[in-house]
Amino acid sequence: MSAALKDAVGSRRNRDWPKHLVLIAILCIELFPLYMMLQVSLKDNASFIQNPWLPQPPYAVTEVRRAPVAGQPDLVNIRTATWTEVMDGITPALVPDPALISAEKHFDLGVYRVGNLVKGVKIVGPYIANTVFVALSGTFLSLSLAILGAYFFARYKMPFAGVLWGAFMLLMLLPGVANIVPLFTLLKDLGLLNTLSALIIVGIAGGQVFNIFVLRNFIEDLPKDLFEAAEMDGASHLQQIKTVVLPLAAPIIGTLAILAFLGKWNDFLLPLIVLRDKELFTLGVGLIYLDGEYVKQWGQIMAAYFIASIPLIIIFLFCMRLFVRGLSAGAVKG
Amino acid sequence: MAQPLSRQKALREWKLYFFILPSLLFIGVFSYFPAGSAIYHSFFDWQGGDNKQLIGFENFSRALHDPVLWNSFGTVSVLIVFNLFKMIPAILMAVLIHRLKSDRAQYGYRVLLVVPMIVPGLVTLFIWKFFFDPNLGVLNNVLDFTGLKTMLVHLDKFFGWDVFFANAPIGWLSQPALILPSLFLWGFPWIGAVGVLIYLAGLQSIGQEVYEAAELDGVGPFQKFLYIELPLILTQVRLSLVLLIIGTLKDYGLQLVLLGDTGGPGGRGMVPGLWMYNRAFIAGEFGYACAIGMVLFLFILGLTYLNNKYVRVDK
Repeated sequence: MSAALKDAVGSRRNRDWPKHLVLIAILCIELFPLYMMLQVSLKDNASFIQNPWLPQPPYAVTEVRRAPVAGQPDLVNIRTATWTEVMDGITPALVPDPALISAEKHFDLGVYRVGNLVKGVKIVGPYIANTVFVALSGTFLSLSLAILGAYFFARYKMPFAGVLWGAFMLLMLLPGVANIVPLFTLLKDLGLLNTLSALIIVGIAGGQVFNIFVLRNFIEDLPKDLFEAAEMDGASHLQQIKTVVLPLAAPIIGTLAILAFLGKWNDFLLPLIVLRDKELFTLGVGLIYLDGEYVKQWGQIMAAYFIASIPLIIIFLFCMRLFVRGLSAGAVKG
Repeated sequence: MAQPLSRQKALREWKLYFFILPSLLFIGVFSYFPAGSAIYHSFFDWQGGDNKQLIGFENFSRALHDPVLWNSFGTVSVLIVFNLFKMIPAILMAVLIHRLKSDRAQYGYRVLLVVPMIVPGLVTLFIWKFFFDPNLGVLNNVLDFTGLKTMLVHLDKFFGWDVFFANAPIGWLSQPALILPSLFLWGFPWIGAVGVLIYLAGLQSIGQEVYEAAELDGVGPFQKFLYIELPLILTQVRLSLVLLIIGTLKDYGLQLVLLGDTGGPGGRGMVPGLWMYNRAFIAGEFGYACAIGMVLFLFILGLTYLNNKYVRVDK
């Protein structure tokens, strides 16, 4: 779009900078939790209380104090430096400490508690592995079945297709609010309580309606000639899906996959009632457990949160464009 | 549309039914069966085991006289009003981004909007829980730092709320009177990236000539929003409005994480979904929980009906 045309959107008299100012201010607040998570994850409680807002400067202060009992060696205390100490040098305290012999500032990367991250990996690593397993297999199976189902509805108007379609669409209108209670006893009867398969299976079932709805519309919009040409060449329905549907519907399948994956990644209500053993915990339950049990070492907790975000960071790095575009396109289509 | 086909051809293609069979099985067993089971069991005294006793409408009459349930409907109504209010920033943000002249800046802001989504939803909740912490929490620190706390204490004295005190940290999640305000504050500045992107997509469909005509008529920025932008994204706004109301009615994960399964101190954060969860998995009253679910379901069904009738999304 040329700048001249674009000009009409914003008023010609108005400049852009006030908008940028507002937007940046909002985004700063929006990104603030992320910032806090990152910077607190490298602190221990003492330096967090001393300096909650800013990242730790890479300096430590070595304080040497006279021992309270004469004859014993001096007490050496290493603490993290504050920003004022880094900027202005160490100034004597308002109430001078008579025991203090010397205080020296020195460059020290050890003030960053990398140990928090290591501990975070240890705590949430197994949870992440479980969640990746559940989310990946759930997303894959759910979408595979949805593609088959959507193909059934989109390719031909088979007898009874209308009734079956109604069975799916009814679930879109009726929310399953009370379902979780009988679902629990159903899973118990099937012997699936306290297993990861329960989460995968319920995840597959939950994704069918929405995915089939979106994919059916998409497959119906594909040119019919392509299917017919493939059929002439003797392609079975599975081969038609493989050679026609999958390549052409790849972007929408990708978007649906990301949405499904995010949904399963963030789910914690079902795992909370299904899982009992700590070894099977997914991220959701694991974090709730962590929140309840831990003596609050905020640094370690934030580090665990950060580690929990890393898989999503990786996904977003690779799929950002797909995601933004898919969402916008899906919005236009309704 | 799907191709119509003759009876013979349909018979030859009978294998196609195997394509839909798995999906059908899954929704049958894990969506329809639990739903039916919930209706069935709402008439029973049932602890989740094999023993159950038919008690007719007793669960429902109990629900009708359950003060916790009706208070929870009150709470959830307040939350819906909050959430309606919280839609405004996303709309304004979308309009602001849309009005930027540079395409590159627009894309940049979109990407920045998506960045907070890398944090799992639950983690965002826990970070907010940490913000609400009375002693170390960020919120109290900000209020102290900016002097807003003194103002709150003065307001408290003036109105006699009895919740803010000069010498004690504010217990956001531990004072009954502050539960609802905390649930309101949660997620500030309330920008849902998905919402903004959807609104932006709607705004993008506005033709340049509309703006040019408005420009010629000397229309101000606020009127532009009111007469051009808002009507054109009304479809999306309505759609997210409906989804939001139903979502708020159904949801209880937020309350469960922030306040625990009793709805926080004084049960002020109790919502219908959470009460259902509480009855089933804490008290073991599965039959009664099913009945609560049914009541909630009827409310949502009524709203869906009203929505289809009056707020119909025109395409």
